[in-house]
Amino acid sequence: MSDYDDSADGTPAPPRRRRLYGDSENSTPRYSSPDEAGESRSYRSSKLSNRHGSADRRQSCDSDNSEEERDKPYHGHSRSRSSSRADTPRSSHPPTPPAYKPLKLNYKQKYVLKGHRKGVAQVRFSPDGRWIASCSADGTIKIWDATNGKHMRTLEGHLAGVSTISWSPDSNTIASGSDDKAIRLWHRATGKPYPVPLLGHHNYVYSLAFSPKGNMLVSGSYDEAVFLWDLRARGQMRSLPAHSDPVGGVDFIRDGTLVCSCSTDGLVRVWDTATGQCLRTLVHEDNAPVTQVRFSPNGRYILAFTLDSCIRLWDYVSGHCKKTYQGHVNTKYSLGGAFGVGGTEGFIVSGSEDGDILFWDVQNKNVAQRVSGHEGVVCWVDTCPGPTGTIASGGLDGTVRIWVDVGDEETTANSQQQDERMGDEYPQEDVDNSMDGVEVENGANCFAEDTPRDNMSVDSTPERDATGQIPDKSMEH
Amino acid sequence: MNLALSDPFVLAQDYPESSTGSLRSGHACALRFNHKGDFLAAGRADGVVVIFDVETQGVACKLKGHTRQIQSLSWSRCGRYLLTSSQDWKCIVWDLQDASILQSVRFEAAVYIAELHPWNHLMFTVSLFEEQPILVDATELLTAKYNLSSAPKRDPEEKLTEKQAAADLKQTTTVSIFTATGEHIVAGTNKGWLNIIDVRTRTTIYSTKICAGVVIFLRLTSSGRDIVINSSDRIIRTIQLPNLKVDPDTIVIEVEHKFQDVVNKLSWNHVAFSSTGDYVTASTYNNHDIYIWERTHGSLVRILEGTKEEHGVVEWHPHRPMIVACGLESGRIHIWSIVPQQRWSALAPDFVEVEENVEYIEREDEFDIHPQEEIHKRRLDLEDDNVDVFTVEPIKDLDEENSFRMPVQLDLQDSEGEEEFVTIGRGEMRRKSPTAGREYMLDSEVIGSADEEPKKTGKKYRKR
Repeated sequence: MSDYDDSADGTPAPPRRRRLYGDSENSTPRYSSPDEAGESRSYRSSKLSNRHGSADRRQSCDSDNSEEERDKPYHGHSRSRSSSRADTPRSSHPPTPPAYKPLKLNYKQKYVLKGHRKGVAQVRFSPDGRWIASCSADGTIKIWDATNGKHMRTLEGHLAGVSTISWSPDSNTIASGSDDKAIRLWHRATGKPYPVPLLGHHNYVYSLAFSPKGNMLVSGSYDEAVFLWDLRARGQMRSLPAHSDPVGGVDFIRDGTLVCSCSTDGLVRVWDTATGQCLRTLVHEDNAPVTQVRFSPNGRYILAFTLDSCIRLWDYVSGHCKKTYQGHVNTKYSLGGAFGVGGTEGFIVSGSEDGDILFWDVQNKNVAQRVSGHEGVVCWVDTCPGPTGTIASGGLDGTVRIWVDVGDEETTANSQQQDERMGDEYPQEDVDNSMDGVEVENGANCFAEDTPRDNMSVDSTPERDATGQIPDKSMEH
Repeated sequence: MNLALSDPFVLAQDYPESSTGSLRSGHACALRFNHKGDFLAAGRADGVVVIFDVETQGVACKLKGHTRQIQSLSWSRCGRYLLTSSQDWKCIVWDLQDASILQSVRFEAAVYIAELHPWNHLMFTVSLFEEQPILVDATELLTAKYNLSSAPKRDPEEKLTEKQAAADLKQTTTVSIFTATGEHIVAGTNKGWLNIIDVRTRTTIYSTKICAGVVIFLRLTSSGRDIVINSSDRIIRTIQLPNLKVDPDTIVIEVEHKFQDVVNKLSWNHVAFSSTGDYVTASTYNNHDIYIWERTHGSLVRILEGTKEEHGVVEWHPHRPMIVACGLESGRIHIWSIVPQQRWSALAPDFVEVEENVEYIEREDEFDIHPQEEIHKRRLDLEDDNVDVFTVEPIKDLDEENSFRMPVQLDLQDSEGEEEFVTIGRGEMRRKSPTAGREYMLDSEVIGSADEEPKKTGKKYRKR
């Protein structure tokens, strides 16, 4: 039970706390269905090697990593907002239509993929669902098999931390953007980069997205520009005079006609791909820095992650905010999430700075599930395309974790039967009793064996950059 | 999906206004958009076919197989196959999945125009130079070529005079295209006759004399209900195609509009329909302009200028108000389109564009001060609309899952570069590397050397 319904508890929770029924006075009204009440399992954290803390990647511009930052407005916002919600049970809770089945999720950790030596910035499923790519502040990209968590390849060549990756629609190419200002394209099968990188940004490349046809790439950078690239010609096609602050996220709509971008200046802009013109600007009253944007799967809405610990769903045609998802902590880092389907209902999943992963019901904005596992900030969560519903997450602890929805039968804490069942369903893995997930260490081994680190002149760029941390300069204008 | 956000005034614009750029890869002399409108195929004078990505305006693919100038291009409906015809007497069906040759068919004469069957990419009709037209069916293992007749259908009771018989013998088909269903072929002859041929029986079911001169070109609208005819008598005609499934004797074909320039007596190099068929565009002979007429009243609406050369093939984008035409001298592909204006209100969401000054009346509670929490709460409570983030609205006649997607070649080595010839003086050009590209014989024509033989053929075709 503890994994549900912490919905509006916005205060940063200690990771891996063991929550009991009604453990806090200000716990919000419970929205989830009563039949989850049998579950009282706590997740034992998996044994992590102690490599977190060095990678403060994706720390956003508005904070300089100091403690007094915690009292800055964004944090205050989230606190006041959540407390106001907690005090007054929501009267106008939408009456659920009769056909509506409340979203029930039961995600469990399945694998822990280790190998990255610094924090993992992004984790992305390939469009065919077979691979997971992860990029890290250690300057590498790793490809994992999505079904069994096996480490496939390590892509090395960037001179600084890699902030972003994107799969081509045919799943054969990966584009990566790095703090060395370059965008590289990689063969997925061979692990080799295409010879010429895409150069043009004057600062860290922070976000990338392939066009649905695979012929274009959009990139957002700390130099406040959004570029459209012609991938065949390897040239910059169009520069969008986007923002007055570093660009946090970019995305393509599913038919490729629109591009959206966001910035820490608090704006989300929607662009016409063909003409390069701004068609719409979305801004919330509070003007909170927007760190990540994403089109909904059908392209009718934009999901925007802001540093006031909110995720907002915008109807960009009308320019209105349709939903606000709260409950996680997001005041410093550029967190990323995804849309997913559980059963018949949609959910939104995102990481949190307290180490949890939260699942929201798209319609009623309740937290459907909250799972813990990562030690430290969960930077990125992605959902697997297709019906499997697998979820991958990456965090500052340098691990990539794969989560699966194990369904209704898993609600009992007695793990003996469940292990058998799991064995039937996932015969390729050996699950230990506690379902803590299988640690896949081969990535680390490969890394140690086949990485000639000395030919990468990491020291040419300051160490700060490799961590993806934002230099103080960039926030002053 | 950008339509909801686009300026309605821009969307209402049907035809292009101004020159917006050009494309170049060698000397283009034939153009065709695919049905989706995302790729533009250009056939070059050296026999190479270049496929441009309309979005990026870059080269997506190069197809090398012909050795002489490309005469015509025809896309399959799915966009996967491309039929090219060339002056080297060959037609090639390309599979764009891997840019390979699916079928190569050689004829006894140079090919004017070849057109793919709308539903079967292994069947096409070919109009040959001074030969009878041919229907090619490569569906079976063995490629079958069927001769079609150019002679018009005569009344069986009427006695054929000797003069008429002699005239029939001299008739050759200059252009033949399939109707939208693919059950019939519409063929134009050098004597101005229009023949309708049943594909199954390969007999002429209807004939009419439509114009005085040679029928140079025929083109259907995307709906397949109208045909535009370019003729050497300097008149462009549009006709509405009747239902051809009825009894052939009841078919009546009447000219709907005649477009001509009575003042300048211009003749037309090439014609095309607009995306909806409401407009007709034509490139002019010995003139730099592109004319656009509308079809409801038959009036001239626009003359596009902006280039310094005569244009050959002109094509209209299948969805957008965009016209491309290739220049005869330079081989450059010129583009006319609409330049949209940036709306400033899109950049600042709290501003609106108004026509004239508006007296603003503030709301009663506009400047009331509410506590922050209350505002937040009220705002959150308002968010009770149902949102649908997954359901994709199906687009009419566009099956996205099964439609063909051309693979993106990221390692395309554009060895030839943008300009293959270096200018060394006024009107003088030199090939960049003298040894490269020798296998393409017609290069000599491109640079205008004294090689007479291929030049002659080129001229003949242009006049025809």
